[in-house]
Amino acid sequence: MATKTPEQINEDLLRPLSVVSPRYFVALAIFLAVVIVAGSMFGRQIYDGLGVTGLNRPVFWAFYITNFVFWIGLSHAGTLISAILRLCNATWRRPVTRCAEVITVFSLSIGASFPIIHLGRPWLAFWLFPYPSERGIWPNIRSPLLWDFFAINTYLIGSVTFLLLPMLPDFALIRDRASGFRKRVYGFLALGWRGTPKQWHRLETAMHIMAIAIIPVAVSVHSIVSWDFAMAPVPMWHSTIFAPYFVAGAIFSGIAALIIAMAGLRKFLHLQEYLRPIHFQNLGKLLLVMSLLWFYFVFSERLTGWYGNEKYEMSVFWVTQRGSFAPLFWTMVFCNFLLPVPILAIKKLRTITGTVIASIGVVIGMWIERFLIIVPSLTRKYLPFSWGTYRPSWTEIIITAGTFAAMALLYMLFAKVVPIIAVWELKAGQSVEREHLETILAASEAEAGAD
Amino acid sequence: MGHQWGMVIDLDRCTGCEACVVACHAENNIATVGDKQAAGGRAKHWIRVERYYEGDFPDVKVKFMPVLCQQCDAAPCEPVCPTFASYHTDEGLNGQIYNRCIGTRYCANACPYNVRFFNFYNPAWDKPLDLQLNPDVSVREVGVMEKCTFCLQRIKAAEIEAAAEKRDVKDGEIQPACVQSCPTNAMVFGDLSDPHSRASRMAASSRGNKLMEELGTRPKITYLQRESWNGDENA
Amino acid sequence: MASVDSIYGLFPDPGSADRGLKALQSAGVRRDSILVMSPEPFEGYEFARSDRRSSMPWIAALGGLVGGVSGYLLAWYTQVAYPSRIISGGMPLVSKWPSGIVTYELTMLGAILATIIALLISAKLLHWKFDIYDPEVSYGKILIGVVDPASESRMDFEDRLRDAGAEKVKGTGRFNLA
Repeated sequence: MATKTPEQINEDLLRPLSVVSPRYFVALAIFLAVVIVAGSMFGRQIYDGLGVTGLNRPVFWAFYITNFVFWIGLSHAGTLISAILRLCNATWRRPVTRCAEVITVFSLSIGASFPIIHLGRPWLAFWLFPYPSERGIWPNIRSPLLWDFFAINTYLIGSVTFLLLPMLPDFALIRDRASGFRKRVYGFLALGWRGTPKQWHRLETAMHIMAIAIIPVAVSVHSIVSWDFAMAPVPMWHSTIFAPYFVAGAIFSGIAALIIAMAGLRKFLHLQEYLRPIHFQNLGKLLLVMSLLWFYFVFSERLTGWYGNEKYEMSVFWVTQRGSFAPLFWTMVFCNFLLPVPILAIKKLRTITGTVIASIGVVIGMWIERFLIIVPSLTRKYLPFSWGTYRPSWTEIIITAGTFAAMALLYMLFAKVVPIIAVWELKAGQSVEREHLETILAASEAEAGAD
Repeated sequence: MGHQWGMVIDLDRCTGCEACVVACHAENNIATVGDKQAAGGRAKHWIRVERYYEGDFPDVKVKFMPVLCQQCDAAPCEPVCPTFASYHTDEGLNGQIYNRCIGTRYCANACPYNVRFFNFYNPAWDKPLDLQLNPDVSVREVGVMEKCTFCLQRIKAAEIEAAAEKRDVKDGEIQPACVQSCPTNAMVFGDLSDPHSRASRMAASSRGNKLMEELGTRPKITYLQRESWNGDENA
Repeated sequence: MASVDSIYGLFPDPGSADRGLKALQSAGVRRDSILVMSPEPFEGYEFARSDRRSSMPWIAALGGLVGGVSGYLLAWYTQVAYPSRIISGGMPLVSKWPSGIVTYELTMLGAILATIIALLISAKLLHWKFDIYDPEVSYGKILIGVVDPASESRMDFEDRLRDAGAEKVKGTGRFNLA
């Protein structure tokens, strides 16, 4: 990057916090409207019952659980990717990490709300919490839903921390440059950050520990999500490949979401000089690897199922391969593999536009993938007499749309109150680079002097 | 060891009349959902008669198979419930505590027999059906799962009566509604822990097998397969 | 403003900040009574060096241990404390594999919470009132100063900081130069 002075960086990255365009309010209003409509649909669902959905016997889980897996999957964008890049000390990560971690926190919150949205009696969701009650009854540790409860809460606490800790110096920065109410709010949020060497040192140590801790948590979260299915003796669910398959799929969709979010930020917040083509190219390469890995998992799963030729599994297998779910299946293969692989493999196509197109494909494809894992198995569960079908209702479709709007809304609001690129990390990265250059220069001068 | 309630269903005797289905609805306060909801797969029949055909018309062989909760000993529906709403009773039944159910519907997905039902709406009865509700059975509200209980209210009533008279429950004393209403006596209910009960003796038949036993669910209902299914229908 | 006496210089770049630090040290000020604040970590510079190695990884490990043990105890207790002996799916009352998952998650949660607490305490966060601070740090300046200097050496410090390249020299308390 053309080196900028720290003051220029401050101004560039803090500008979105003070400048608001009318377009922003229009977009905000639209997203808010969608969220409100979706919220009222949920209200009606609570009042009337789950009859307002397309659910039936035997398809007791469909859109809501698809959204649950999808959003929890997207949450692997951030924390996991940013933790890995941090531990590998990849210098290009610096402008990327925060926008990734924000995706994690928001999509995890949205994802975690779906197990509640889908409940028959959502007002009793707190029964999953192991609290001592006067009746002395406890939740069931053997239920994968309880594992979800523990894993998601751990991950949420971890990823919120992972996002917040490196924000402290930036809050202090805003505190010192603002006045009045803003100064008080950011002053409170900065928790008394002053930038002493001890604080810097402790912060970096804490971030290092968090990065190490968050990776196994992220892996466990999506493994447990997969076990919600793999624990049940349902054809094509009851599979040992599910945990790694889901984790790979989660990272895959997470990277795609990150690329889309970055492209949006770059365009709307004028961060062209910070989120540069190199970032999209590097993430594009990661996306390519994950696309190939995804195909490998799908191929292994399908091959094993087909070769095993077990009668119950085969009825699910064929309904996705050739039956009523086949159009969705082949759309998924196109979106997740046939479309992104050539775009990402050919260097000329791996541009910002190219990676964004591939990523949109992947996000759509991965949503379909989760749907295809959940629903066809339930429609073809054992006794043919009780086979069924599923068609989503408007309630489910609107609530699904509402979560996408909620994601955009939260992201837009966040980018207005917190610099979406970690200011101090960027500056620190520049200092490291400059120092590196200076040592090289000094070395070559010394060499010239010796001659 | 206490009682282990089980059932034997003789498929040779089942005529597919569905009297058991009607009796079950009446006994257990199962709400009807109307034609549209039923067509959408939301009918609640704790017992249903599955029909299987073989051959082309008019040379068709038909098999009727009443399917109700198999009261599995290693039931997949039980451990997946986060609140223990679905659990195993001491007498070997798959209990369902309606008040503890939060409606994750996980049990219904895990059940290979699809014999668990969800209340998509609050139950309602067309007049005058609302006047025949059974006071011994609780009505389930919207958002909870329900399922066959082997007519737990009848089991409990018989056990309490027997205890009051200081004796054991006699074989055949308890009849769930479906068993009671079966005109051909195709269903027999009894204590499987008593080797001399009629159900235990019938379950030992060479015709006996269990539904999808290969899944390891250890069901407590034994089906006696149709002999005529294998041989000549009119013999 | 602040009641604590101090005198400090604001340096425009890490090189001059290092010189300021050396200047104060050569005037006989102990390293641990020199106050440093910077807008970024500036790893590798003398002034940015922290006092000692942190024991945070061990605290995190300890937190993990506590979390794990309490996780297993929770999984065990909630099943055996149930009013009646609950049988579920033919599984043992305390099932090892599922308990392992809860144990694992709470291990990680314990480690994460211990890290946060260790950071908040050891980095002296959650103290919003500063004795000495200068918002110029957020405009890219590096603050090097002395807390509670002897009054006779004050002029000397001021000169030394200026000579080392400080853009401004300020003080608090009795030395309030602003």
